[in-house]
Amino acid sequence: MEGPVPIGTTAVIERTGETMEEMYVNMGPQHPSTHGVLRLMLKLDGEYIVDCIPYIGYLHRCHEKIGENRNYTQIIPYTDRLDYLASMSMNFGYVLAVERLMGQKIPERAEFMRVILAELQRIASHLIWLGTFGLDLGNFTIFMYCFREREMVLDLFESVTGQRLNYSFYRIGGMPMDFPETFLTDCQTFLEWFKQRLPEYDAIMTDNVLFQKRVQGVGACSPQVAVDYALSGPMLRACGIKWDLRRNDPYSIYDRFDFEIPVYDTCDVWARYMVRRKEMEESVKIVEQALAQLPPGEVMAKMPKTIKPPAGQIYSRAESPRGEIGFYIISDGSPKPYRYKVRSPAYVNLSALPEMLKGSLIADCVAVLGSVDIVLGEIDR
Amino acid sequence: MTPEEILAQLKQEFGDAITESEVRGVELRLTVKPEVNWEVCRLLRDIGFEYLNCISGADWLTHLEVVCDLSSLQHPNKVHLRVPVDRNNPVVRTVSNIWRGADWHERECYDMFGVRFDGHPDHRRILLPEDWVGFPLRKDYTDERLVPYTEYGMEEKLPKAEGEKAGPKEARPLKPPTPPQPAKS
Repeated sequence: MEGPVPIGTTAVIERTGETMEEMYVNMGPQHPSTHGVLRLMLKLDGEYIVDCIPYIGYLHRCHEKIGENRNYTQIIPYTDRLDYLASMSMNFGYVLAVERLMGQKIPERAEFMRVILAELQRIASHLIWLGTFGLDLGNFTIFMYCFREREMVLDLFESVTGQRLNYSFYRIGGMPMDFPETFLTDCQTFLEWFKQRLPEYDAIMTDNVLFQKRVQGVGACSPQVAVDYALSGPMLRACGIKWDLRRNDPYSIYDRFDFEIPVYDTCDVWARYMVRRKEMEESVKIVEQALAQLPPGEVMAKMPKTIKPPAGQIYSRAESPRGEIGFYIISDGSPKPYRYKVRSPAYVNLSALPEMLKGSLIADCVAVLGSVDIVLGEIDR
Repeated sequence: MTPEEILAQLKQEFGDAITESEVRGVELRLTVKPEVNWEVCRLLRDIGFEYLNCISGADWLTHLEVVCDLSSLQHPNKVHLRVPVDRNNPVVRTVSNIWRGADWHERECYDMFGVRFDGHPDHRRILLPEDWVGFPLRKDYTDERLVPYTEYGMEEKLPKAEGEKAGPKEARPLKPPTPPQPAKS
């Protein structure tokens, strides 16, 4: 399609010799199933989607420009606002990039704390995805189930950080404070409870024939297309490609834990659901192992008051619940980054949405969009 | 294939067009001339760098720079490719026909730095509105709405406008609280 298309017009085009009508329908930016302010321009041929143009940027707030005007520590609270459903993972990715740039080692206990919090965050993020995805497809009960468990994770986070959504808890060089005394037992209790809840999710979603019919064979995306678009995270693993940065480019202490990487090769919405569903189990495993091995000791390394990484540049990546979160930082030796760029996973995953939607029914649009698991905060930055 | 071998192959193919190169562990850092950017990317893709992590830009005041980060799902090597482009006429050939994921990254680079990508299928702004003037991430970008950033507690040290007294601001005199008025009947 060339140029902007006026909303609601019907264009008559010629294709394969016959004249047919194609219609443009606007979805969003104020639409409950776009998970924020995303606008999709759908080009329809009857009930079928011929093309789709996503319009983004409604939530743009100059994250990178702000970053260039703040010092390295001050950027941490801004990274929370990138992916507000997985703030811990965003903090983790950022501090990891700066520490790699500085060549900084952090205490063992802090590494374990980071992994425990990041994996609990992965569970919380996947829960909110599962809940809203169920809601998109008309299953309200799963939404209540998921929010019940997510509330418990948030309670755990509140006991550690004092916050429930934007934690800003990771620091360059370690963690600001240790776990509270009750955390370990509370966390064990939660994991035991959560493991017993997973079969409930299976009963209401996985084994539900209505749900299966809505998602199986919908929104397919071949492995070649997935790699071509550089999809990451559950989107890539749902295309049968076993790729997880925790295993393939290990950072922190992920190489010490024993966990599976769930892979499904049906490439459709169902596969994406199954990958995330299984990932929750694997995260539980990692947290259990980390809690059992948690060493005593300091949680913060000795750091200078003003953080000045040596001049140089780095592209550092980590696995967030949505995929590869990358931070590209150019340092000129001053307390502020010269250039600060975020490669957000949902931005890249969303760019492949037209590819997945082409040829599908308009009724499946919401299911496919939901399966991408977008968070507009990190797409628009 | 080690990064050294990849570098040797690139040097053999492109010679002087590769102006700088450095091997850091598994990462190969390259600077190439904009004329051969597309060909270098094509070759890198063919030897296994099928995964485009990121395309971003940087403003070095003397020139702009387009930066590609590539990796592979088969081997642990990475490539960090930098392409300097002219600041007044920044044009570089698009790589969105090599990796389709480059599409949105290049649009963002155009949006923020004004680098034009020759042959791009959908060359529009992406994050900013279409009628936006200027390219915000350039270092000389100005906007009257931008408030200069000051460190907390450093406001006193800023140069003052003429006629204004230097030094810490005087405390504003507090108004005495007014007693509540009785309601008129």
